[in-house]
Amino acid sequence: MGQPATMAARAQRNDAPWLTLKMREAMEAWLFLSPTLAGFLIFFVAPLVAVLGYSLTEWNLLSQQATFVGLANYDDALMRNADFWHVARNSAVFALGLVPLNMALALLLALALSGRFRGVVVFRTIFFAPVVTSAAAWAIVWKFQLQGEAGFINQVLAGIGITGPNWLREPNWAMAAVIVTRVIKMVGLNMILYIAALQAIPRDYDAAARLEGASGLQIFRMITWPLLGPTTLVIMVITTIGSFKVFDHIYLMTGGGPENGTLVLAFYIYQQGFEFFNVGYASALAMIMFVIVMALTVVQLALRRKDT
Amino acid sequence: MSSLTLSGIKKRFGKVDVIRGVDLEVEDGEFVVFVGPSGCGKSTLLRMIAGLEDITSGELRIGERVMNEVQPARRGVAMVFQSYALYPHLTVRDNMGFGLKVRGVKPEERASRIAAAAAILKLDALLERFPRELSGGQRQRVAIGRAIVGEPDVFLFDEPLSNLDAELRVHMRSEIAALHQRLGNTMIYVTHDQIEAMTLADKIVVLRDGIVEQVGTPHELYRRPRNLFVAQFIGSPKMNVVPLADVELPPGLVAPANAVSIGMRPEHLAITNPGSGIVSGRVAIAEYTGASSLLHVELDSGAICLVVHQGDEPQAGKRIDLRIDTGNLHSFGADGTACGPPTGHPRS
Amino acid sequence: MDALTPRRLRLINQICWTLALCVAAIPFLFPFIWMVSSGLKSANEIFGSPSIVPRAWQWQNFVEVFSYQPFARQYFNSLYIALTVTAATLLVSSLAGYALARLRFAGSALIGLFLVSALMVPEEVTILPNFFMMRRVGFIDSHWPLILLPVFGPQGIMATFLMRQYFMAVPRELEEAGKMDGLSRFGVWWRIAVPLSRPALAAVAIITFLNSWNLFLEPLIFVSSLEKFTLPLALSNFTDPYGAPLWHLQLAATTLAVVPILIVYVIAQRQIVESFALSGVKG
Ligand SMILES: Nc1ncnc2c1ncn2[C@@H]1O[C@H](COP(=O)(O)OP(=O)(O)OP(=O)(O)O)[C@@H](O)[C@H]1O
Ligand SMILES: [Mg+2]
Repeated sequence: MGQPATMAARAQRNDAPWLTLKMREAMEAWLFLSPTLAGFLIFFVAPLVAVLGYSLTEWNLLSQQATFVGLANYDDALMRNADFWHVARNSAVFALGLVPLNMALALLLALALSGRFRGVVVFRTIFFAPVVTSAAAWAIVWKFQLQGEAGFINQVLAGIGITGPNWLREPNWAMAAVIVTRVIKMVGLNMILYIAALQAIPRDYDAAARLEGASGLQIFRMITWPLLGPTTLVIMVITTIGSFKVFDHIYLMTGGGPENGTLVLAFYIYQQGFEFFNVGYASALAMIMFVIVMALTVVQLALRRKDT
Repeated sequence: MSSLTLSGIKKRFGKVDVIRGVDLEVEDGEFVVFVGPSGCGKSTLLRMIAGLEDITSGELRIGERVMNEVQPARRGVAMVFQSYALYPHLTVRDNMGFGLKVRGVKPEERASRIAAAAAILKLDALLERFPRELSGGQRQRVAIGRAIVGEPDVFLFDEPLSNLDAELRVHMRSEIAALHQRLGNTMIYVTHDQIEAMTLADKIVVLRDGIVEQVGTPHELYRRPRNLFVAQFIGSPKMNVVPLADVELPPGLVAPANAVSIGMRPEHLAITNPGSGIVSGRVAIAEYTGASSLLHVELDSGAICLVVHQGDEPQAGKRIDLRIDTGNLHSFGADGTACGPPTGHPRS
Repeated sequence: MDALTPRRLRLINQICWTLALCVAAIPFLFPFIWMVSSGLKSANEIFGSPSIVPRAWQWQNFVEVFSYQPFARQYFNSLYIALTVTAATLLVSSLAGYALARLRFAGSALIGLFLVSALMVPEEVTILPNFFMMRRVGFIDSHWPLILLPVFGPQGIMATFLMRQYFMAVPRELEEAGKMDGLSRFGVWWRIAVPLSRPALAAVAIITFLNSWNLFLEPLIFVSSLEKFTLPLALSNFTDPYGAPLWHLQLAATTLAVVPILIVYVIAQRQIVESFALSGVKG
């Protein structure tokens, strides 16, 4: 009431008076979203359309320009070129090796580290440390340790009378080595997700089950494991999709070798696109990868919806 | 100058009509209370006045101006929120000064307005504290202070006392009344507590399901509720409503032709000699509340009738007759609308 | 005397667990120790007996690293790129996250769905067209792709949803109070929503920084000159003329790249681990 004059004067001003409140809010929303949407269109949608387009063309070092060839690249990949199925098999082996190992270890570590005891933080810190380390550094250090005779691992093995293989030079061992070192690098992430889920389980359940005389193993099987279901599902899908993306780790440790023994899909796309400049073929591979990942995502969403 | 006019205001959320056409005049300096059961649209109506919700249709004027599409801060209104909504990262002083700063009020003027508001609300000692360091009542005061310093034309309150304990609520209620006396601004106050409404309001607006059931002074609403809903909503304990057939109207008194039920407020009923009452029944329960007792009387028809009784409470199970001053009788038609008191009082 | 009181049983149990964990920790911890120790060995000793303590401490490895290639410059590149990406991501994702959390407009749900769909798609899928686009605008062998792609890629979208989640938990009435106090929408975002979302901002900053710091595919594809390299690319570049790794330099350089991050990690491990937990639960 102090100065009604100023108050009234102030109330008179309304910038852009033709805008309704609703329009104003919508406009603000688009404005706030505009950088993200622009980036999304330029760096995701447009490239996705482009890659679909490329995949229908023959475009390589020889042709130097794109000529439309329909589905020939897909036909090539899926039907003719044995490389593709070799790569697909490698990717599958990599995923099937990595995902269960990663998840089992993550759960085990989480069970051990979800409680409170002296040193728990130290252990968590150690198991998580590789996650914050760059894949490049991790790959370099492990490559160093896994060298033939001179490598640390084989020297230790020699010390106890075992002659270790030349890990990264033999296809099967190389695949195993790549999987295991990748698991060690990333298991910390799933571990903390499991720890968070375990800590969210009310303690009453545990206490009640114990009062009824259930053993530790029974409690895990009947209570903990089912309650971890949603977390397990999320972790499984994230880890599976993540395993398809792995590039730097393999590039630095084995370069896809030996004998293409560790050549996985992400690497194959890079190789075809940027080393051999088979743009059309590489794009078809990229589309195949896109479809696989989308399928996995949809499965996850469907499962999660059913869950809730 | 700071009167309000709502005409044909409607609000629709998606497919749901939440406010279904409200017409209302608020005069300058009036204290208006919106009251109604939970979910009836009180907050929504208030937020439309504030500009926090857009108006689906209808017209809102504050003073002379149509305000439908004016931004909240440009309407000359201030709002006190139910949760107080104090900025947790600012001190009391900065909380109160925030709006002034945003509006470009000079520091000296800002300081003096904050000081003035703090003096009114007895906040001087708390200015450097953070909201988390305050009690509920203190936070409430800061929220009011923040509204005051902006010198708005209209104050809006959305259930400002509902987070306080009973004692503090009564205290703050009187402070808000005093504040209105002192500032003289138009105030609109939302509550679902009819006692708050009765004590504070110049004018009460009873809402139900997005519709205004009745507008009037507290006296009018209490004495002449327009329908059953208002009759039972205003007043505590709530009005007894019994079928006309169960009531023995005093000789010579006739209910209006379309009346089907009779309303009697518990505080108007009194025990009388057997055979001379308007209804009779058995005392089912007697609750002693200190100043009076609340009797639950089971009428012969089986309906329960509440009675506020002064003095010694009768034994449970005892048969009693109840009388009432005929001026305090209400009657209602089949659709719930009031149809005037029974008339034809016998002249002696 | 009964040897196995419940208390002792618990103690034994605990000791067993701790021992098991110690063994399990070896492959996680040892590579770091071995990296530091090998980075301090001479080129000859590095293939000698597997001793953790170097016979002769070759501190000059850490000097040579800088003369072999422009390592200081590369270090700086990684740092400034990561900081730029972090700042830009915070800005862009918190604006978009706010709009998705709070503003009502037609198409809001649809946009959310579109963005989610990009969340999971690996960079490898779109990297070819992105490469040609960058070449078109002359961004090859520059740092632009290393900044633009992460800000607007899956990482940026993940940040957007993380922010959105957090903004939804900011009390609505606080923001409305800000509006009544005269703040514009931008003001509400900047002066109320953002200050109240520090934990989410910190999580986004930590994850974004590390992600950029560790980025490999994009630098490999877009950058070719040594002065433009970032750390992950530079590390594997310490080789002799035939391409065989100079391990002592590679490991010294890796030590220089990894140890500062590890130190920060150990100091702020709680915050960092929580940030990852937050983003993972969402994903
Ligand atoms: N943003 C919204 N979207 C959809 N429906 C809403 C929204 N806000 C309120 N409603 C609905 O509108 C109706 C009125 O809500 P409002 O908050 O105005 O009630 P109220 O009278 O203030 O109730 P209370 O006393 O509980 O605060 C309710 O049914 C509510 O569910
Ligand atoms: Mg309300």
